[in-house]
Amino acid sequence: MNARETAWRVFATELNSSTLEIKATEEKMPSYIISPLGAKINRVLISGVLTEKENVGSEEEPMWRGRVQDVSGSFFINIGKFQPEASAAIADLEAPCFIAAVGRVRAYTTDDGRTFITVRPEHIVKIDEKIRNDWILETAKSTWKRLKDTKKVLGMGDATEKDLIDAGMSPVEAFGITYALDNYGNLPDSTLYLKTIQAALRMLLPERNVDLGFPEDLSDEPDEIEIPENGNAGGNNAAQLEDMILNLLEELDTDGKGAPREELERRAEAEGISSIELEEVSNTLMDKGLVYEPNLRYLKRI
Amino acid sequence: MVNEELTPHIQELQRVLGDKIDEEQLEMELNKYLNEYHVSIDAAKRGIIRKYGGTDTATFVTGNSLIKKVAELTGSEQNVDITAKVVFVDEKEITAKGIPKKIVSGIIGDETGTVSFTVWEPGAMVLAKGSVYIFRNCYCKTWNDKVQVNIGNRGKIEAADGIKIDLPERQISASSSEIKIGNIKDGMGNVTVTGKIMSVESREITARGEQKTVFSGIIADDSGKIQFSAWSDFGIKEGESLCIKNAYIRSWKGIPQLNLGDRCEVSRVDAVTNVVDTSTNKKTVDEISRIGGGLDITLDGLVVDVRQGSGIIRRCPQCNRSMLNGACTTHGMVEGIMDLRLKVVIDDGTGAIGAIINRADTEKLTGVTLQAAQGLASIKGEGVVGREITSKILMKRVTVTGNVMSDDYGPSMIVKSADILDIDIEAEANALLDEVEASL
Repeated sequence: MNARETAWRVFATELNSSTLEIKATEEKMPSYIISPLGAKINRVLISGVLTEKENVGSEEEPMWRGRVQDVSGSFFINIGKFQPEASAAIADLEAPCFIAAVGRVRAYTTDDGRTFITVRPEHIVKIDEKIRNDWILETAKSTWKRLKDTKKVLGMGDATEKDLIDAGMSPVEAFGITYALDNYGNLPDSTLYLKTIQAALRMLLPERNVDLGFPEDLSDEPDEIEIPENGNAGGNNAAQLEDMILNLLEELDTDGKGAPREELERRAEAEGISSIELEEVSNTLMDKGLVYEPNLRYLKRI
Repeated sequence: MVNEELTPHIQELQRVLGDKIDEEQLEMELNKYLNEYHVSIDAAKRGIIRKYGGTDTATFVTGNSLIKKVAELTGSEQNVDITAKVVFVDEKEITAKGIPKKIVSGIIGDETGTVSFTVWEPGAMVLAKGSVYIFRNCYCKTWNDKVQVNIGNRGKIEAADGIKIDLPERQISASSSEIKIGNIKDGMGNVTVTGKIMSVESREITARGEQKTVFSGIIADDSGKIQFSAWSDFGIKEGESLCIKNAYIRSWKGIPQLNLGDRCEVSRVDAVTNVVDTSTNKKTVDEISRIGGGLDITLDGLVVDVRQGSGIIRRCPQCNRSMLNGACTTHGMVEGIMDLRLKVVIDDGTGAIGAIINRADTEKLTGVTLQAAQGLASIKGEGVVGREITSKILMKRVTVTGNVMSDDYGPSMIVKSADILDIDIEAEANALLDEVEASL
């Protein structure tokens, strides 16, 4: 099935402390990030305050970076040409404002082994405080459920995924928790998530003196994250390159004859894809039967 | 493909074709298929073998078919003969490439097992239930991991009057499992359910030229409700509680339905209480995805995407289907009737589901009426209408009710009613706080 991926409700603390990635090994297979609490994330729904935005691309081809703060920390977003709706939307937003965004997540690992997660919104919408609070509530409930489930699994000893499903978890939840516990090496920092829930409840219930017994400070997250320049060069894996080339082919195929080679090379160059890389990627795509050459000077998507 | 890469394929072809073609010619042929006509390597090899008459029937299709027993079918047979008895047969009308067409399908079996079959070009031959036939030149496919036998235009069906086949006794009692109605899924075989009849009505239908009375309605337990059809009169009355044994599940557009056939046993049981509130059948998207579909399901979630085809559309005045570029797929160029609708993706955190929302509810949710939309469209174009209603609904929390069915792209709902959902954030936050505090 090619069902659409769930938009997970996660706070910045949980998303940013994720370092596990399940990379796509086949075409059309999505990649996932597994959070320490076992959320198997391809897509997220985030909300908070857009605190800053910057166009690091050009006027004609914008590449937006932004930062969205929730009760626990900041999400890092970037929006390029393949998110045309979000790109148009963020251009009109003025920081600070409440936003909600839904998009896919990507993980970058630096040379010294640190992992940063960014969100590429497909949609970003200005919202009011009520909708933002609605998101905080839903995300707090969702985080609490994952925390409870994780504790439950730890208490079950050597439980298999099937045991967890029998105990009432969904297959995705059972997989995610098992995978996280097996692969993170150490247990999730429950204090961090309880603090996050405490911060969420304080925001929602200012009248009640919410105190779960944790100090205020939350984040030991980075102030800045390192994202490869314009989000394309360097950090691309093969699947991303293929997607980009396929998109370019579609865009350049104006008359049904295919995309002219020269134009394709020029555009690919502008995206930071060298002609050698382009050659390699187009060969792979041809082998996969996704593109063909109607004649030598054209390449066409099937 | 360059020449070195062709070598293994050429060798394989040589093995099959022997000295019917020399290497040079083979290479030329293969080159032509692959590099001039850009066909796949498999298709190229098949074509060449067909052309030069290979005999390796195990690998490739030729004039000779295999003979197999039902249990031996793997689903990849290209040309197979099967001698089997018709267990069940029915005529169906389908639409293939826009043209209505009659096909015959059902179940055939031999002493090793049963398999479903379809005759795509039925002609004048009428298959009789209980008779034995030789099904020649069939091809097999798998669907939902089950083998299906197809008799296409190359296929032949011959009566095999002299042959007697005893089908294995079906182990119904062993395979009929007791199940909650809410857990019934598409593709399930025999089930036993206990529930309360919420409604029942009878109607006359004509099946295979025979007048028949079918009793259908809704049965519910504490986990869900389902539509049932009884193909004989079990005396089912509204309000009574029944244990239904050996019913089978058939799905219509992904919505499972409970069928009470010949082998079904119905018994009256103590009143089933705790029936789900049949006015609200609330589920999460994850639950819906696992069941596949259902009737009158309610779900809450956030509109996370608005798809193309939202906003002003035109419907064919004859069939009411939405038109594309001024044309109806069935009735061609017609003067369309303006309508307003939303195609959205609703996500509740457990999964995502597509939903199609009609004009009345689109107007209610977005506050944009068809009239206003038309006005806006005449000034600024219809694309602006799409963006306008998108901005009104995106990221809003909604509650929708409707029928859900599934396809390869997951579940989708035809929405019957929709509302913006207003939740009491403070009350729910208090409840969460109490729960968290209690557990620490």
